[in-house]
Amino acid sequence: MKRIACYAAVAAVGLFPCLPASAQDFSGHTLTVGTWGGDIERLLREHVAGPLEAKTGAKVEFLLGGSGDRLSKMAAERNNPTMDVTFQNIYEAPLALKDGLVAAPDAAAVPNAADVWPGMNEGCYAMSLVGLGIAYSKSLFPEPPEWADLWQPEFKGMMAYAPYPSSEGDGMLAVAARVAGADEHNPDAAFAKLAELGAPKLTYSSLDEVLSLMDSGEIAAAPMISGYVISNLENYEGIGFVFPQDPGPVLVRDMVCQVANSPEPELAQMFIDLALSVETQAAYAKELNFGPTNSKVELSESEAANVINTPEEVASLLQMDWPYVIAQRSAWTDRWNKEIMGQ
Amino acid sequence: MNQIPDIKPHTTAMLVGPAAALMFGVFVLPFLFLLVLSFWSQVPGSLQFDTYLTVLNYARIFGDSYYLGGLWTTLWLSGLVTVICLLLAMPLARWIVLRAGPAKGLLIGLSILPLVCGALLPTLGLVNLLSPLGFINGALKSLGLIQSSLPLLGNITGVAIGLVQAFLPLMILPLITTMERLPQEYEKAAMSLGARRLVVWQRIILPLLLPGIVAGSLLVFCASLTAFVTPQVLGQGKVVTFASLAYQQAALVLDWPFASALAIVMLIFLGLAGMLGALVTRKFGKAS
Repeated sequence: MKRIACYAAVAAVGLFPCLPASAQDFSGHTLTVGTWGGDIERLLREHVAGPLEAKTGAKVEFLLGGSGDRLSKMAAERNNPTMDVTFQNIYEAPLALKDGLVAAPDAAAVPNAADVWPGMNEGCYAMSLVGLGIAYSKSLFPEPPEWADLWQPEFKGMMAYAPYPSSEGDGMLAVAARVAGADEHNPDAAFAKLAELGAPKLTYSSLDEVLSLMDSGEIAAAPMISGYVISNLENYEGIGFVFPQDPGPVLVRDMVCQVANSPEPELAQMFIDLALSVETQAAYAKELNFGPTNSKVELSESEAANVINTPEEVASLLQMDWPYVIAQRSAWTDRWNKEIMGQ
Repeated sequence: MNQIPDIKPHTTAMLVGPAAALMFGVFVLPFLFLLVLSFWSQVPGSLQFDTYLTVLNYARIFGDSYYLGGLWTTLWLSGLVTVICLLLAMPLARWIVLRAGPAKGLLIGLSILPLVCGALLPTLGLVNLLSPLGFINGALKSLGLIQSSLPLLGNITGVAIGLVQAFLPLMILPLITTMERLPQEYEKAAMSLGARRLVVWQRIILPLLLPGIVAGSLLVFCASLTAFVTPQVLGQGKVVTFASLAYQQAALVLDWPFASALAIVMLIFLGLAGMLGALVTRKFGKAS
C-alpha cells in the first residue's frame, strides 16, 4: 500500500525514485529489540541483526531481560514506545494484542509469516516451539520418568521450580490437575495435587544453579522448558530430559512481536521477517533445540529428535487455556506462595 | 568567619532550581503517581487499570496473614542485619581511624568495594560460596568438621549473610566520619580522671558516636528493607520479603496497583524508621 502511494506521488510530482524496501537506506536509524540474553541474543545477532544492519545501514540495539519486564515497559510506554520488536511468551502475546500494545501479525508486511504453521501466529508471530517436560537426576530416576512418577514419596521436597508466575509454574499446575483427573479449570485439584510434591528445595534464578544440584542428586527433578536445557545437558552427565506422554508435554511457544506505533515499523518488520526465515529457524533448532515454526525448515533425523517441529507433534502436546489462566494470575500467585511454597 | 555570604533571592532560586526541578520531575511526580496507583485496581486478564478509587489493595495486605508475615520477616531481618553490621563495623571503623596509618585510604576504599559492585554479581558469587556444593560446605566437609552440608541458602541465614556483605559499607562510612571528628583528648581526659574503659565507651565514645550510629543504622535498615535481588537469589523463593513480594506483583503478575500499595506500605515503614532515628538522636544526643 505504502509503495503504491509512493509511486502515485512520484507519478504526480516526478521527483524522487522509489526504491524497493530492501535497498532502502536506513543509516542513522536504530532498531530497538527486546529479548532474552545469552544464546538467544547471540543467535539473533548472528542471523538477524547482522544481516539487517548490512542490508539497511541501520543499527540494531538489544535490550536484554525477562519477557514480563518487556510487557511492563510496553504498557508504561503505551503512548510513546521506544522498543520496536519484542520477544514474548505464548500467553503474553495475545494479551499484548488485546491491549493494543503490539501490531497484529501481517503476512503482507512480513512475507515469511505465511510459511509459519497455520494457526500459530496468535497475537504475534510464532518464533519457536518448545514444550514443558521433565529434567531429572539420572541417579534417582534410572528410567526417564512420567509425570506421575514425580509423586513417589521418596522425592517429596526434592523438586525445583522457576519463580512463579511463569509458564513453567502454570504448566506444572495444569499437569498436576490432569494427574489428579481434572484440568486447569479446577484449581483446587491442581493446587492440592501439586502441594503433595512438597515445598520445592529450590526456586532457581539461574539454570546452572539448578542443574548442578540436580547433577549431584540433591534435586530430583524440575519441570523445564525444552530448548536450552537440552543444549545444556552435554555439560551434565547426571541429568536427563524427557517429554512425558501422559499428559504430553505442555506447549509453550515463544513469540516475536512488532510493538504498536513503534519508531521504526519498517525495520521492525524486516527484523521479524529475518527471524522467521528458514535460515534463522534452522539455526535455532540446531544450536538451541528450539522447534522451528517455519514449515519450510527441514531437519535431519538427529536434529529433529529433541525438537518439536511438526504439526503432528504439536497436536500431541498439552494445550492450556491460557486466557483463563491469565485471568486467575493474581489469585493463583497467592495460592502458589501459600500452598506450594508452604509459606 | 562563619558568616554566610549575602545571597540574593534570585541567586538562591538559580542554585536550588535545577536540582529541585530534577527531583520534582523524576521523583515527586512518579511518587505521587505511585500513591494514586495504589488506590486503583487492575482489570483481571488485562494490563489496563480500573481508575475507580478503592482501598482494596491495602485491605488485602493487612487482611492476609501471608502479607503481614512477609512484612514482619522483612522488618526483623532488616533489624538483625543492622545490628550485625553495627557490631562488625564499630571495631573495624575504630581500627581504621586510629591504627591504619598510611593504609587508611586503601582500607576505606576496600571496605566500600561492595557498594560499587552492584547487587547481582556479589550475590551470585555468594551462591557459589554458600551452596550445598559450594566452597564453604566443601571446605568444612573435607576438613571433616561436618558430615552433611550446612543449609546456608534458601533461609534467613543466607539472606542475612548476603545483606550484611552488601550493606556493611553503609555502616562503616558514617562511623568513620564521626570517629574522625572525635577528639582523642576526651578519652584521655576521662581515663586520667579514673574512668575505666567500659565507662569511657559508655559515657564518652558512644554518645559522641551516636549521630554516626543512627545514620549508619538508618541507611542499613532502609537498604535491607528495600533490597530484593539478594533475598530473591539467596532466599531461593523461601524467604519472603516485602520487596520480593512487590517485585513478584510488579514484574511477574503485572498487578501494578497492588505492587504500588506494597511499595507505599514499605515507604511508611521507612518513614517511621527515619522518625525513630531522629527521636533517638534528639533524646540521647542531648542527654550526653
